[in-house]
Amino acid sequence: MTMFMQVFVSGLVIGCVYGLIALGYSLIYKASGMMSFVQGDLLTVGAFLGYTFYGLWKIPVAISFVMVFILMVLLGFGIERGIINRLVKKKTLPIYIVLATIAVSYILQNGAMYIWGSNMLTFPRLFSANSIKIFGVGVQPEALFCIVVSLIAMVILHIFMKYTKYGTAMRAASMDPMAARSCGINVSVSTGLTWGIAAAMASLAGMLIGPVYGVFTTLGATIGRKGFSSAVMGGYGNMYGAIVGGIILGLMETFTSGYISSAYKDLFAYIILLLFLFVKPTGIFNERAIME
Amino acid sequence: MLKVNNVTLSFGGLVANNDISMEVPAGKIIGLIGPNGAGKTTFFNIVSGVYKPDKGTIVFNGTEIQGKRPYQINKLGIARTYQVINLFKKMTVIDNVVVGMHSRLNQGYFSALFKTKKAREEEKMAYEKALELLDFVGLKNRAYQLADSLSYGEQRILEICRGLASNPQLLLLDEPAAGMNATEKVELDQLMQKILKKDIGILIIEHDMKLMMGVADYLYVLNYGKLLAHGVTADIQANPEVIAAYLGGDE
Repeated sequence: MTMFMQVFVSGLVIGCVYGLIALGYSLIYKASGMMSFVQGDLLTVGAFLGYTFYGLWKIPVAISFVMVFILMVLLGFGIERGIINRLVKKKTLPIYIVLATIAVSYILQNGAMYIWGSNMLTFPRLFSANSIKIFGVGVQPEALFCIVVSLIAMVILHIFMKYTKYGTAMRAASMDPMAARSCGINVSVSTGLTWGIAAAMASLAGMLIGPVYGVFTTLGATIGRKGFSSAVMGGYGNMYGAIVGGIILGLMETFTSGYISSAYKDLFAYIILLLFLFVKPTGIFNERAIME
Repeated sequence: MLKVNNVTLSFGGLVANNDISMEVPAGKIIGLIGPNGAGKTTFFNIVSGVYKPDKGTIVFNGTEIQGKRPYQINKLGIARTYQVINLFKKMTVIDNVVVGMHSRLNQGYFSALFKTKKAREEEKMAYEKALELLDFVGLKNRAYQLADSLSYGEQRILEICRGLASNPQLLLLDEPAAGMNATEKVELDQLMQKILKKDIGILIIEHDMKLMMGVADYLYVLNYGKLLAHGVTADIQANPEVIAAYLGGDE
């Protein structure tokens, strides 16, 4: 039972992180019909920024989080406005734009190495307690924090997208940009903002996972790919699918490592990705976007 | 209200709109007719800001609007519908109308997210107004269904309703009767008369001549991107050039 709970909690931790990344993929896909490979590296950058503000400069954790969040919205917005949108305007084929996102991904990854070095850095603890007991099992408070904050972020994003003027405008712009423009919506800003929010979600994931996994330049690379699997499992382009897909993948992975062997957890994750692509490409939430 | 002066736009070597001038006053229905490919939709796209004209000016209530972006033009009071239905199909009917109000709602990002009292009140008013508008166009009982589930004719009406939501002074309708049955066309006719009473000007492209002759106060005829004739409907019906263009065209 103890082992089960521990595996379960760590599965939720990584699952929530996958979910946050997958959310970004879904948002971007909905807003621009585009795949972005930058998400994982935005997680890395977010983790490094959080380390710098909180760990190095000793800025209180809440303020650090907010600062990183705002900076990353700007970075995501900038990537869309400065690179993606310009390529779209030049009528570049979508596949080349996807390649451009891979380029940006490596630039961020290597850029992070240039600034912060290639050693693994320790993200300082967020809480003084070493572990707290849940159902008789000791759990690292940061792990719990990661789960709780991810879930809160997802709920807030849901409220923002569904019940506010701007979220509704963003959904409208992604469904039909032309009609949205004639409804008075500034589609350029709305698309840029979608990328900004996706980046902020990734950076949040980075700051949450940093204290658990440590901070290094390839932190986001693997997580980014897993987030992609999660998005496909949930239904690419579906926000709820992204979260559910992420948590399921996280749980499967940790249970595989816990009860079978950690050596094969990636094998398992990617076989599942292929299975979904063959058997149910619309994912758990039956999102048709990818079929159109 | 709307005054278009000598608008010209070419795509490569093709002159899609050549030196077109027209006027749309408030509270009137102005028709724009012509054979397929005459440049009618291009003209709509210029007025609504999708294209920027090479030459000429478009003056709306004293402001030059040519080259402004579509969302800015919507804000100034021009709404439009499309030849091909462009609804937000996965949203409810009422949400489509509320999106149409976008430029008239004031809530900021933070008040929107944290649902301040002001934002909540505004939202409540927006949905009340949307219901009123749906009642006005006769779609109130479908308010909470997905836009996708409406019939073709109803979707066209919803697009008009979404256009009205931005509280426009000028409404551009691009073939609103396309795909409608006879009853729906009569309802559309009645709806347009009701819209006129709100002192909104309507500029309409339509191929259904019977409908057009019945509703339009004044007609402009385009052919090969040029203004062929303009006048009250009776004069246009009797104009030999117009008859020749239609008979010789692909209509």
